Amino acid sequence: MSRNTISEVIKLKRRLYIELLRLVKTGKLVEEISSLSQKMITKDSPRYRCCEFKERAIFDQRIKAVMGFNIASNKDKSLEELAESLPRQEKKRNIVEVIYTACDSCPIDKYIVTDACRNCVAHKCVNACPVSAIVIIQNKAYIDQDKCVECGKCAGACSYNAILENQRPCSRACELDAINSDSNRQAKIDREKCVSCGSCITACPFGAITETGDLIQVALELFSEKNKLAAMLAPSFVGQFGYQQGPAKIKYALKKLGFEKVIEVAAGAEITAAAESKELKEKIIEEETLLSSCCPAFKTMVLNEFESLSNLISKTDSPMAVTAQEIKNENNELKTIFIGPCTAKKEEALQNENVDYVLSFEELLALFTAHNINLAEIEKAEKLEDAGVLGRQFAYAGGLQKSLQELITVDYKSKQVDGLGRLKKELYLIKAKKNNYNFLEGMACTGGCIGGPSAMISKKAAKKLVQNFAASN
Amino acid sequence: MPKNTLKICIGTPCHLMGASELLELIAELDQNLRDKIELKTSHCIDDCCEQAPVAEFNGRIYQDLNPEKLYKIIRNNIR
Repeated sequence: MSRNTISEVIKLKRRLYIELLRLVKTGKLVEEISSLSQKMITKDSPRYRCCEFKERAIFDQRIKAVMGFNIASNKDKSLEELAESLPRQEKKRNIVEVIYTACDSCPIDKYIVTDACRNCVAHKCVNACPVSAIVIIQNKAYIDQDKCVECGKCAGACSYNAILENQRPCSRACELDAINSDSNRQAKIDREKCVSCGSCITACPFGAITETGDLIQVALELFSEKNKLAAMLAPSFVGQFGYQQGPAKIKYALKKLGFEKVIEVAAGAEITAAAESKELKEKIIEEETLLSSCCPAFKTMVLNEFESLSNLISKTDSPMAVTAQEIKNENNELKTIFIGPCTAKKEEALQNENVDYVLSFEELLALFTAHNINLAEIEKAEKLEDAGVLGRQFAYAGGLQKSLQELITVDYKSKQVDGLGRLKKELYLIKAKKNNYNFLEGMACTGGCIGGPSAMISKKAAKKLVQNFAASN
Repeated sequence: MPKNTLKICIGTPCHLMGASELLELIAELDQNLRDKIELKTSHCIDDCCEQAPVAEFNGRIYQDLNPEKLYKIIRNNIR
């Protein structure tokens, strides 16, 4: 997935993060949450929808998601009510969700008739349409868009390829076809297929797809000081928090923010690499294939769509899971917070009792901002030396493959593939036993984790910074 | 010696709102144009964090920037 430029949609979301966090900081979250949309969206602020009232309604739904609540299932609950129930105990929820009020039911008609239509005698399109949406007007097929259900049968039927498929940004971005439209032509997520990769969130120009997060819960934990918190920094964190803001400074800043412990997930990644290399050695002897397990979106895709290959997935825990386990073994009282560029990790954390919360890089930056911590002005630092190159290079595509090659002395073939679409093709080959390697490193995001949906800098810059950091120990 | 000075804020609020994209823009500028600009970074410009990201070009402060806006500012004001 390529990083999108910072649009108004993203800015608005990040401003909302900051405002909500300021309310938490002053202890006025419950009291003032329902008037926040009124404060932030005025009659004169830039508007993208029909009126400020609709803008505010959408905003309020966004607030619910930021607090970690599903919008659809909590639509009758007020913001105050929800804010009061925090921090909540049960972890079950959907990570990626459509804000229905914000979804514009994209007027881009999915199927349009082009000038290539010759008004043929057969009229296959008219016959193929199950809802009688196609009529012939002025010597040309015409699709009644109010009737069209976007099934695509007409496009397949036309002998002249005269009917064009014109996809919406969200469904085009989804390489697993997990986004369809419902009867109101609004985006609908197919939960059987969605792996929470986050592609659709960044793709929607209306900001109508969002993720439910732990930001406010973490802020409340920091505010209450009841529990001690451990920050787990994903290997891809290097350079994500500002120009020339090095890892050691991030550690210091996190401690200043109130975290008791700061640890690199790369430490867990080294354990993962060691365990996975043992598994792989066995597979090499058995002449079988092993699929990597550290990318949760890839793993979920295999489980969802390639059931017969599920036994090929490595049994090794992901670096996040291992790191959280280590922290809990040492001190069970600590609450663990994973900090990364990934939405799929949020999903993985819901199923892992050792990971209490997940923050994205942008969410952590909003926390710093709301607490008036300007990293550029900090001069102190605290060295991070939890891991070496074997763990740190997990951050980019090909890193895991490299670490395993260094741990295994025998000759074997492996392959690295990034991007869910490409991975899907690769899995079909494995299913047909047409692969000539023993190990497949699968990363859902192009470039690996540094190309994740909430990465703050370009992949190229990030890779260089991670490599420098990995070589520094 | 470049005749123009560009100062980009790299403070946390500005970074959150896209300061890194502004720096990327400068790195990708036409060499002709780039040679005329002295690039500096700042920890905070004028305390206007609410209007991040912020930059200063030839002494004038510009707020709520994006790469496209900054490019136009540079083109229109370069000496």
